[in-house]
Amino acid sequence: MYIAAYMKKPALTVRPETTIAEVKSLLASKHFRHLPVVDENGRLLGMVTDRDVRSAYPSSVATGKQNKDEMLKVSQSPVCEIMSWDVVFLSPYATLDDALILLDRQKVGALPVVDADRTVIGIFSIRDLIRAYTSLFGLGERGSALVAVKADGKPRPLTRIVHVLEEHDIHFSRVIRTRGDSAAVQNDTITIRVNTMNLRAVHQALEEAGFTIDAMRPESFKNTIPHA
Amino acid sequence: MFRPFVFIEHPSFLEHDTGGGLHPEVPARVALIRQRLEHGSLASSMTVRLPKESVRADLLAIHDESYLFRLEEACLAGQTSIDHPDNQISYESFDVAQVAAASGMTAIDLLETGQASSVFCSVRPPGHHAERSRALGFCFLNNVAIAARYWQKAYQRQKIFIIDWDAHHGNGIQSAFERDKEVFYASIHEHPTFSFPGTGYAEDRGEETGRGATLNVPLPPGAGDEMLLEAIRTKIAPAIEAFQPEALIVAAGFDGHRDDDMSGLMYSTAVYQELGRIMRHWGECCQGRVVSILEGGYHLEALAASVEAYLVGLVGFETGEK
Repeated sequence: MYIAAYMKKPALTVRPETTIAEVKSLLASKHFRHLPVVDENGRLLGMVTDRDVRSAYPSSVATGKQNKDEMLKVSQSPVCEIMSWDVVFLSPYATLDDALILLDRQKVGALPVVDADRTVIGIFSIRDLIRAYTSLFGLGERGSALVAVKADGKPRPLTRIVHVLEEHDIHFSRVIRTRGDSAAVQNDTITIRVNTMNLRAVHQALEEAGFTIDAMRPESFKNTIPHA
Repeated sequence: MFRPFVFIEHPSFLEHDTGGGLHPEVPARVALIRQRLEHGSLASSMTVRLPKESVRADLLAIHDESYLFRLEEACLAGQTSIDHPDNQISYESFDVAQVAAASGMTAIDLLETGQASSVFCSVRPPGHHAERSRALGFCFLNNVAIAARYWQKAYQRQKIFIIDWDAHHGNGIQSAFERDKEVFYASIHEHPTFSFPGTGYAEDRGEETGRGATLNVPLPPGAGDEMLLEAIRTKIAPAIEAFQPEALIVAAGFDGHRDDDMSGLMYSTAVYQELGRIMRHWGECCQGRVVSILEGGYHLEALAASVEAYLVGLVGFETGEK
């Protein structure tokens, strides 16, 4: 669950005096959108993004000498003129949940990962987060299905579900409890991603433990085939 | 006017032992189908044939040799499953799987030599989840994929259309042909986010040169006859018309039945007769070259009744019970 296992490392970094033109070509050639900017010891100073670079240049539609001069000026300017200085970062001991909250709160696409003395050791993007959760949730892998049960109002439903699944040697990768539209516990739904085709065995085990299987039928789906 | 049809099965299909307990893929599946047909309206027009011996090279067209050895060894060594506890095996399972794989090829021989005009292979273990080197979802050898390659190789029918209306997506068939523009794979199944094996999104249309020769139509849980037939009418029928196949293979799974608890689909028994009619009609567009191979179907009574309904539609013997 630690981001250290999912971040990109080592991170490609630039120095503040690197020109905007160099940064632009670096971002384009590596298909990156974020670059940490570091001092001579590799310590984090800030971040520069492809959006910073794009906004720095004049419109590509505009022509004329003035525009050309402007382009040249931007290209030769150091990246410290456009970078963000006051950036939030992650420690390698941050969890995926920490990263999710921070990426969402900061509204950024990637965060630098630094060690105790602020040396940049990696970068963690939304894309890395999606990949990490996809794998942790067992999505996209061949061999899983989703089963949902209604909470029965009795104590410790999650414990009982996990217990019954493990008792029956039913592998699963995710158990999520979602609140119903009222405060009543009976309206909660618990969805489980199971790694088996034998749903009959799963249903039977859960029913024996007192749960009702939720057929998960969309309440009012239109009678049409979804389009790709 | 009905056309006689050939029903392929083998006594060894009863010998693939999935360990009892709650395993749904049991010998009684094929036993009950046979029993139902023998006592039903189709009995007099049905010829039962045994599959021929399988040839190693035909299996190797779809599976890696190392996997075949691994599977065989697992069975002979007394392992109770391979690759996942779902895939229960017994000492005989490798041999039985080979007989199942040979059934589709036998069906093709019978059609091509004029000995049959309609064939159903009542086989187990099923095949459409089996990957090149991996058993999955009760499947070991990919019976349908092996048959498709055989049809191409033995009779030079290059353009094969596979229609799979089992409740689950046939990941193994898709991965065998997703880069192949000559074999079209079309599947209607319960949506992958809910249903095993979690593949078969509508966005998957084939890869590289095979782009456009894969068609997935996922249905939401609870979908019934109307949505199934709409999917066929609006998605599959135009695809088959555009593709102009020389032969059709049906991955015939019956677990979309409303009584079958292995999927959330809600098909009726009667809709399988309609499916049979549609398959017959499509078959007429490729000189009757249609082979149907059993995949899933785990509610025993519903399975037997649905297979019978399907065959009534397929052979055009419409006076049977609905």
